[in-house]
Amino acid sequence: MALRRKLARLWQVLFQRSRLDRELDEELRAYLNDLIEKKIAAGADPAAARREAMLEMGGVTQVRADVQRIRIGAGIDALWHDIRFTCRTLVRKPAFAVVAILTFALGIGANTAIFSVVNETLIQPLPYKDSSQLAFVWADSTAIGYPRGPLSGPELKDLRQHGTMFSAFDAIWGSTSTITGDGDPQQMRIGFVTTLFFDTLGAQAFLGRTFNDSDSGDRAPGVLLSWALWQRRYGGDPAIVGRSINVNGQPTVVVGVMAADFRLLFPPDASVPEDLEAWLPFWNVTEGLRRQNFLRVIARMKPGVDLAQAHDEVSQIAARISREYTDYGSRPRAFNLVGLQADGAREIRPGLLALLGGVAILLLTACLNVASLLIARAAARTRETALRLAIGASQAQIVRQCLVEGLVLAIAGGIAGALFAQLSLRVLLALRPPALSRLSSAGIDGVVLAFAAGTALFCGILFSFAPMIEVFRTDVIGGLLGSIRRVGTARYRARVVLVTLQIAFGLVLLIGAGLLMRTFIHIQQLDPGYSSGRILAFRLSPPADASESQIVTNDFHRRMQSELAALPGVTGVGAVSHYPFDNIPNWGSPYLSREGQEPGTAIFADFRSVSPGYLETIGAQLLEGRFFSEADDNTSGRPVVIVDDLLAKRSWPGESAVGKRIAVDPAVTGRDDRRRWATVIGVVRHMRIRSLVEDLTDQVYFSIRQVPRPTSYVVRAAGDPTALVASTRDLIRKLEPQVPVYDVRLLDSYLEAPRSVKRFTMQLALAFAGVALVLAFIGVYGLVMYSVNTRRYEFGVRVALGAQSGEILRLVMREGILLLSAGIALGIAGAAVTGRFLESQLFGVSAVDVPTYAIALAVIAAAGLLASWLPARKASVSNPLEIIRTE
Amino acid sequence: MARQTELLKGTLDLLILRALEVESRHGLGVAERIEQVTRGAFVVKPGSLFPALHRLEQQGFIDGEWTVSPAGKRAKAYKLTAAGRRQLTAEKKLWARIAEAVGLMLGEQEG
Repeated sequence: MALRRKLARLWQVLFQRSRLDRELDEELRAYLNDLIEKKIAAGADPAAARREAMLEMGGVTQVRADVQRIRIGAGIDALWHDIRFTCRTLVRKPAFAVVAILTFALGIGANTAIFSVVNETLIQPLPYKDSSQLAFVWADSTAIGYPRGPLSGPELKDLRQHGTMFSAFDAIWGSTSTITGDGDPQQMRIGFVTTLFFDTLGAQAFLGRTFNDSDSGDRAPGVLLSWALWQRRYGGDPAIVGRSINVNGQPTVVVGVMAADFRLLFPPDASVPEDLEAWLPFWNVTEGLRRQNFLRVIARMKPGVDLAQAHDEVSQIAARISREYTDYGSRPRAFNLVGLQADGAREIRPGLLALLGGVAILLLTACLNVASLLIARAAARTRETALRLAIGASQAQIVRQCLVEGLVLAIAGGIAGALFAQLSLRVLLALRPPALSRLSSAGIDGVVLAFAAGTALFCGILFSFAPMIEVFRTDVIGGLLGSIRRVGTARYRARVVLVTLQIAFGLVLLIGAGLLMRTFIHIQQLDPGYSSGRILAFRLSPPADASESQIVTNDFHRRMQSELAALPGVTGVGAVSHYPFDNIPNWGSPYLSREGQEPGTAIFADFRSVSPGYLETIGAQLLEGRFFSEADDNTSGRPVVIVDDLLAKRSWPGESAVGKRIAVDPAVTGRDDRRRWATVIGVVRHMRIRSLVEDLTDQVYFSIRQVPRPTSYVVRAAGDPTALVASTRDLIRKLEPQVPVYDVRLLDSYLEAPRSVKRFTMQLALAFAGVALVLAFIGVYGLVMYSVNTRRYEFGVRVALGAQSGEILRLVMREGILLLSAGIALGIAGAAVTGRFLESQLFGVSAVDVPTYAIALAVIAAAGLLASWLPARKASVSNPLEIIRTE
Repeated sequence: MARQTELLKGTLDLLILRALEVESRHGLGVAERIEQVTRGAFVVKPGSLFPALHRLEQQGFIDGEWTVSPAGKRAKAYKLTAAGRRQLTAEKKLWARIAEAVGLMLGEQEG
């Protein structure tokens, strides 16, 4: 009953306000009339009675306002009124509104875009079932330079047997296979998996099924196709499941097709390419060789098990393996267990967090700008505020008005910011480096929108407090009678602080961007030990009959290489098993460098097979001995290798490496009896083929005529390498019509991948810094302009008293320079502190790099000086008499 | 006087309800009634009266109704509702207890 009454009342207040007010007025008028009549009846003359009654009433407007204020929903009503009022004033001064909303939209938009990336890569779970239970098992072989190595089949078996905290252990191995039939033969990136690998991930097939235990038997193996391969090679044939296709010359039944959005999001050093084209089941993988380490093992922890406990158990299993098997010699096995999500984001997390920090500073700068604008506006409205206070507005009302104003701006800015975020996300995705592949599914979803809304509201409240600074001190009389000069010093001081901070933040971002830029330039200029410029790269698979014997294969490649070398415009030709930064799995194994060396102490090396001419073509630097010749083939009976200087120095310090012997197992079987001794014929400078910024592992180069591998060609051009594409294709078609040529790219493009992340962060940081610079410029300009306006009278008097225009200019510039100096000092301190968080992103440049600081400082100083010179000039050329007259 | 009413703001509701206990009155009538009964101790100015009347009406303790006087003038008269009557009884009891407590306190101080 009471509630219904109140609701009815609320309805009236909100929607029948004018009727309520009319009735109230009538009631008050009746009261006044009654009072007058009473006084007349008591003997007063009508005029006096009226005056007395009015006095007693104490202001009808005031009473009316008091009644209105106690009404239910009066707050909502007043809020609505404030909102309408704010919108009207904003529309009346569109320039202010546009600048404020755009500034804010920029800040919110950039933040939202970066946050959506962070959300996708660091916050959102991986697209697997209960992905928080998934973990990666690494073999820690730091001692031999391989901290994140693979495991062997028997070790997988041990984990399965002894792991009580896990519901499953499964493994994958990235490899290549050839598909024949249905068109050109094709070399494909495939993943060998344990049968329940997909079940453990919780991934379903789009068509057919994934593997199950029936696939591990003796019968013909099944193959699981990726969506891309199914579309490309089989035209999305819906009847593909159950068909037999030729994989490595063997008929293989297609058991299923994975969905288009299925991706393996493993860390890059797992050598499990994201774009695997098909999967085959392992056959009896757990019965393999104990020391043949090639498996990338994923684990699913039982519900409720935490990572630390699980890690302990895995470590204990490794310790047990080391005790039970002598194969490992003096070097015990150690396993690390890391969350799949954390591991996948390992490389990009620091970069992303640095970007998020940068963009947060940008948002702060944008907020400072809007706050500064609001203060300026509040200053211009001092008289209005004083008037409102004088006619009975409470301070709470003024505060509410300020808040509403801030929030209206924030909401408008937030909406514009969300649109801007959508746009900038598209740009981000276009620029996205391959290492951020997970990004492609980043989007503006509920979480991101909530983030944007939350940030907008927070900032809105924050900056709407700015103009309130003087509300509580507004001297009503002074505000009404005096000029702006008499109030507003607190506001001016507040703006000084805001603008100083803007300059400081701008400088921090400029320095950050500068450091990232120097890093990128540094990486770009690094000498990786070879030169990838002007080289065309392509792969080809020799015809099936050529793979039958190595002699035939060698003849095929010899002929191919000499024909290619004879093409006009070609200055060098070679073939290699892996390009630098290739997207096929790494190849390598431990080697022995002395007779009688205990196998457990063997150091890991990367293996590459190269043709005679390859090292010359890519410009490897020969330090000792000789390059390969065509004589170093399988008929020579003498296995030879070229090693890098790291291996040479480690194995034979102070001695010549040429003529020494190392024991290697190119088949990477892990069996000691499969090792063979090879003679070192040359030493080349270490080539950075897996990391641009550090020397990772020792390198062993085999002659591809002795150790054959799938072959990738390099052709160095005298001029533009793309001009060779057509002639190369024509030549190969003429020589071997059946041989497919694929992955035709510039060798440079392979090196782009490691550079692209740095390029990406640099581009973003530059964009942030640019925006912050503009904001700082606007901030300084606005403040100095404001100060010039308030001091017009003073300047007028000064000029009238004989001051030269140069003096006025100096006076104003001094103010700008003071602002700048304070901001720069603060900014340098800020950059020195925040630089530490950027350190992981830097290479070849110190976080307190003096030239970078100097350039950033010069840029911001130039912008600041220009921003204060413009209003200063205006002040110095204005006519003093005119100013004095208008004041 | 104004200061007095200000101080005793909490009691204004009680006084208004009491003034309407017997018959309905319009605004000025309520003010006059209070002044008359308290022998001029409380002068309720419109600035306090009207917000209080409207608040009480909103709370459902009194009901405002537009009436036409014999002279043909429209006026809003307030009358006590059933809820208002209950509220008056409760407030009277509360007031008696406060008065008694304050009286005791003052008595003890003096003795």
